[in-house]
Amino acid sequence: MIRRNRTPEVMAISEHELTVMTKDVEHLHEDVGMPAMLSAVEEWKEKSRTSRRGFLIGAGAVAGGAVLAACGSSSSPSTTTTKAATSGKAGTLTGDLAVAALAASLENLAVAAYGDVLTAATAGKLGTVPPAVATFATTVKAQHAQHAQAWNSAIVAAGHPAVTGPDTVLVPVVDKAFAKVTNVTGAAQLALMLEGTAAATYQSAVSAVKATSAIQVAASIQPVEMQHAAILNFVLGQYPVPLAFSTTTAARPLTDYTG
Amino acid sequence: MRGRLTYSRPPQDVQEHDIDTRALGDLMEASQDIHTDAMVDTGAALDEMVELGQEARARGSIDLDESREVAAQRSRMRTGAAFGGGILAAAGIAGALDALFASPAFASSATDVQILQTAASIEVLAAGTYKTALTLPFIGGASANGVVKAFATMTMQQHQQHLDAFNAAITGLGGKAQNNSDPTLAKVVAAAVPGLTGPGPVVALALELETGAAETYTVNVATLSNANAKKLTASIMGVEAQHASVLLAVQALLNANAPQLITLSPTNVANLPAAAGSVGFPTAFFPTSMARPASEGALS
Repeated sequence: MIRRNRTPEVMAISEHELTVMTKDVEHLHEDVGMPAMLSAVEEWKEKSRTSRRGFLIGAGAVAGGAVLAACGSSSSPSTTTTKAATSGKAGTLTGDLAVAALAASLENLAVAAYGDVLTAATAGKLGTVPPAVATFATTVKAQHAQHAQAWNSAIVAAGHPAVTGPDTVLVPVVDKAFAKVTNVTGAAQLALMLEGTAAATYQSAVSAVKATSAIQVAASIQPVEMQHAAILNFVLGQYPVPLAFSTTTAARPLTDYTG
Repeated sequence: MRGRLTYSRPPQDVQEHDIDTRALGDLMEASQDIHTDAMVDTGAALDEMVELGQEARARGSIDLDESREVAAQRSRMRTGAAFGGGILAAAGIAGALDALFASPAFASSATDVQILQTAASIEVLAAGTYKTALTLPFIGGASANGVVKAFATMTMQQHQQHLDAFNAAITGLGGKAQNNSDPTLAKVVAAAVPGLTGPGPVVALALELETGAAETYTVNVATLSNANAKKLTASIMGVEAQHASVLLAVQALLNANAPQLITLSPTNVANLPAAAGSVGFPTAFFPTSMARPASEGALS
């Protein structure tokens, strides 16, 4: 398991209360956030089923067919993502579904990366891991998995296989960066890059996709990635909201998916 | 920065205001530099909108009644049906939405203006609320937590920048700038003011405003017709969500009677309780149940 600091006295008080609050927000997630997004996805899926043509539906196979089977089980961070990358191929979906595929691949990459961080932490390769960081990585990994599932539900509804591989262009970049990570700070910086990339891509997607329901899905995820980034900045001792206007500078191009 | 920091056990008696204000100032200055770069993108979008607005004005005046109805219908459908009304309702409404969105471009621009005016009215209120909060001794005075004070100051400025940008977009589309507060939310703030006797209630009020703003913009990006208005809103919604995220974390630490942990230091993370690692992002998908109606802050 992940090594945790012995906590100072103040945590004996705060931990319980914060845990209660966390349970409250988990209920909020179940009651509010998820139904809102699901309705948008369902609308998109319904359109996909009834209108298998035009920009909503792309033809052909889906890229990144490799399953991240090694995710979370390897002690070598670079090995996990590289395995997935070598099985990737250019995708042939078009229009909104291509954007969905790109988004899913970014989410898969994030899931893999956080899985690698947790694996490395468990193996003691990151030094002492504060409990808040462990909770962060575990929670964020789960949320990224949910994001990937949301995008894939639309892709599958359109009659295509789910995108289960990571963004193949980013994989070598992340692998190279992760190979240099030796502590929690390094892991947080890498995570910040991934979150910034995802948020920027979704912000760009809001203008790129055509279906209103697809816009809604992207819009329901971008703020969450931004929140991940804010907390990472806080963890790194940096100002958590550095920009009044978020940018699309770090957005991944569709060619990450289409090749 | 990597490799410089160590996560050794922090001191047990961290002082409540133990922050390096100079370092904090440097961080905020660095943020301003990044912000300047970000404004290049926003400025380009606004420039395009000015041109569009000039074209709209050349065609004549905007029918506010028509656009208000369009805005209200869109908002109801997006927040009430498409998001919360279930699959069947959403599917059945799709056709109606398509018809609505096929309205003349002129009406769409007017609707966009109303949506943007409501956004501006939220920003007016947010900036004003932070400004007022900063006059309180426990937020902006000598007894304030340094990070909370810095956050309130910076966030007030960011909301003012959002207001300026929304108003630039509004005038760019041929509408009138909105410099008044959202009337409904203003009542909420007014009702809360007598209870602002400590940091907790102020944070709770700010959180309500930030959440309302972020959720409103999350809806708006799917509702706005104008591409640049959509881009502008998309560039702000996540920032408001970040404000909410910080406030959630601050609120949790205040409720846990651990204000000394509200500090910007790379070593502080070692002190934070485990739950602090997830309290700032309670949902995997940003909700919209607190989104304000599209025309709530529109000018009549």
